[in-house]
Amino acid sequence: MKFTCIGLCLIAIFVTFPSCTKKDNFKGLSLNLAVSSQVKGMDPIYANDRYSSNEVARVYEGLLEYHYLARPYKLVPNLAESMPTVSNDGLTYTFKIKKGVMFQKNEAFGSEPRELIAEDFVYSIKRLADPKLQGLGWWLLDGKLVGLNDWRKKYSELPKADYSEAVDGIRAIDRYTLQFKLAKPFPQFLYALAMPFTFAVAREVVEKYGKEFLNHPVGTGPFAIKDGVFKQTKKIKYVKNLGFRKKKYPCDGSEKFKKEGLLEDCGKLLPLVDRLTVNIIEEDQPRWLNFQKGKVDFIAIPKDNFDTVIPDAKNLAPDYAQKGIKLIRSPSIDVTYTAFNHDLKLFRNVKLRRAMSLAYDIDTANKLFSNNQALPAQSVVPPGISGHIEGYVNPYRATGRPEQIAKAKELLAQAGYPEGKGLEEITYDCPNATVSRLTGEYFKKQMAQIGIRVKVQQNPWPELQKKITTRNIMAYGIAWSADYPDAENFLQLLYGPNRSPGANGSGYNNPEFNTLFKKAAVMQDSLERTALYEKLNRIAAEEVPWVFGVHRQNFVLRHSWLKNFTNSDFDAGMAQYLSVNKAKKEEMLKKL
Amino acid sequence: MKNEAQKSKSLWYHAWESLVSDKMAVTCLIIVLAYFLLAILSSLGLVASDYAKEIGPSYAPPSSEYLFGLDIFGRSVLAKTIKGTEVAMSVGLVTGIISMIIGVFLGAVAGYFGGKIDEVIVWFYTTFNSIPYIMLLVAITFILGKGILAVYLALGLTSWVGLCRLIRGEFIRHKDREYVQAAAAIGGGDFRKIFKHILPNVLHIVIINFSLQFQVAIKSEVILSYLGLGVQGRPSWGTMINDAKLELARGNWWQLAAATAAMMVVVLAFNILGDALRDALDPKLKGK
Repeated sequence: MKFTCIGLCLIAIFVTFPSCTKKDNFKGLSLNLAVSSQVKGMDPIYANDRYSSNEVARVYEGLLEYHYLARPYKLVPNLAESMPTVSNDGLTYTFKIKKGVMFQKNEAFGSEPRELIAEDFVYSIKRLADPKLQGLGWWLLDGKLVGLNDWRKKYSELPKADYSEAVDGIRAIDRYTLQFKLAKPFPQFLYALAMPFTFAVAREVVEKYGKEFLNHPVGTGPFAIKDGVFKQTKKIKYVKNLGFRKKKYPCDGSEKFKKEGLLEDCGKLLPLVDRLTVNIIEEDQPRWLNFQKGKVDFIAIPKDNFDTVIPDAKNLAPDYAQKGIKLIRSPSIDVTYTAFNHDLKLFRNVKLRRAMSLAYDIDTANKLFSNNQALPAQSVVPPGISGHIEGYVNPYRATGRPEQIAKAKELLAQAGYPEGKGLEEITYDCPNATVSRLTGEYFKKQMAQIGIRVKVQQNPWPELQKKITTRNIMAYGIAWSADYPDAENFLQLLYGPNRSPGANGSGYNNPEFNTLFKKAAVMQDSLERTALYEKLNRIAAEEVPWVFGVHRQNFVLRHSWLKNFTNSDFDAGMAQYLSVNKAKKEEMLKKL
Repeated sequence: MKNEAQKSKSLWYHAWESLVSDKMAVTCLIIVLAYFLLAILSSLGLVASDYAKEIGPSYAPPSSEYLFGLDIFGRSVLAKTIKGTEVAMSVGLVTGIISMIIGVFLGAVAGYFGGKIDEVIVWFYTTFNSIPYIMLLVAITFILGKGILAVYLALGLTSWVGLCRLIRGEFIRHKDREYVQAAAAIGGGDFRKIFKHILPNVLHIVIINFSLQFQVAIKSEVILSYLGLGVQGRPSWGTMINDAKLELARGNWWQLAAATAAMMVVVLAFNILGDALRDALDPKLKGK
């Protein structure tokens, strides 16, 4: 049996590959993407990983989206007519939704086209809260909307949730007006409406397919799944949604994108391609080979190929450049750090923390672990979101200069541990991966310079998580990536009441910081809030609650024929903006 | 025993003679002794004590200056390999001793007394043998924390069963032999019969087994350290191979080469030595 199977697989491969390279008779434009993970299905309420949510966002849409060409990231209306009006107390959000937006054709609607109405959002958001469905995005709205928690609680006891029961927190005032009432101020609420969890589904379709709804995506979005059914295959095929509303390519954007010519398609109707194929290739190297053969239009550079692709860590190797391949780098909104457990008296000594930070040479770490391409973090908030202070240099951020080491030794002595005497051995916990261990060994080596002894201990990821939540830990290396582009998402990592099992794993607790954070967290976006964020960021920098690491960068390669591509941390819905230059593709494929 | 001053040579002398006549075996013995020497010197801090020191640029290739090349932090791969030797040899020795003590004692008792005691011990080792050493290691690390002690115990406690079986079988064969009966006739107790009379006659099995066990333990230590379950915070051949996982994509082969070569040579030497010892010590293979 086994032999047959392997034989068949081999044949299958040989058959598929030539069929891909043979001349495509399709007249329109087709886009080929590759993703590295299986997709769980196409139901918005279960899309809790990046891969599933990206697929969901091809078919479904939400009230808001991130502007494709604006950096820093900015929310713009998508299915909403405009940005909402917010009441003075910041608790009531009123949206007008676009008129004449149609769902994709489906038997569930009969022969009539089905228009999107405000009630659809009410239904979709209640669905996210439905206790019987166990939607994976519930945390997003938990405790945020008036009455929604009660509704959820009530029906968790009963066999079936009743969607006709009104919930105060979310109401359709008329056919095109939608109103949210928040239980408490939550200015980040709008980001929730750009996440696929809250995208609009149609009740008729959900009821027609029941459990199988997961595989029958019917949205208002730019693409429709081919043949109407999602199958667990290695290729997901989409076609252009012919009934898509007249959504246009943006005509404004950041200066950087203007210069790069990303605004050339201004005013064209979206989506720009007729067919979209998503290849699921889980292993790095096959994905990489497919990109090199031109079967995939863009790819993030696999770590192990970094040196061959970008030999000097700056420019693309000539043999790739000759093939027209372009390198796009962009900062990712994240921060890496070494956290201390502030429960221990030891680490409540700010001089010790400062000494340790000054002994840690970030430039060399950057060279060793990030190919010198990351941005050393001065504090907790990464660049690209307000609250990050451009040009600020943390006085306790070291680059390995001898005077910094001398200062570190001095601080260590002031902290009560001259040359590390009297200081216990510090255990540094890290995940099992090789890079994590090497990072730990680097930390150990840096601390040894001023006489602090460190022991590196490897853990499986769940065990490390457990050690952090049970606070049975001294120091550990970890990273945080943004859920949404708001400094609140980062600063909350240091907010005292958030201590783990919340997000504040270090348990840092500073009354001044807490008060300011509490104030800033409920403010609407304003200059005043930005000033507060910056102040918090500065406190975090100077108090050194962690040894800050770096803000990492993404490295993506694209083929010459792919147009309008730019890297984004929030890339759901990106495919509609991408285009392909067919003539160029045919020409360049010969060179590959 | 006294009479041997005349002409007849003892079993051990015979064995030694036959061992030294085998050039291959002698070479292997010298290699093994050299590894031991290196391990002792390194544990005394006389060599490779500065393995953590940065002596050159990151990933410098092997050259006359840096014999085995340098690693990511510019540390000498040679020094790390020597430090790894210390870990490997100590793991081999300690697990070998643990498994020898347990295996010989339980095997002897089970084989000699038989009956209920035998049944209990046989049940015990068959059960014990079904625990994979990685599982036991994980369990032990929950109590002791990760580190070399946990590795000693996990490997030692899971590797004695083979020896125990052999010893038990030998004791069953020997306990009714004439010399044991003679010992009983002149009033020798059980303890005396086991350790003074029968054990010396089966000691060759213990020695052969020990040398083979030694290299299995070394390999296991490398695997455990590679997986991140083994020694922590000091170089081991396993962690060096783990480092090399990333380095290979850059074309840096020297750390992998150094660690695997060091391991291969000592494991090969122990294997050959084990076979030579068997040839020399097992009376049944005499005169072959």
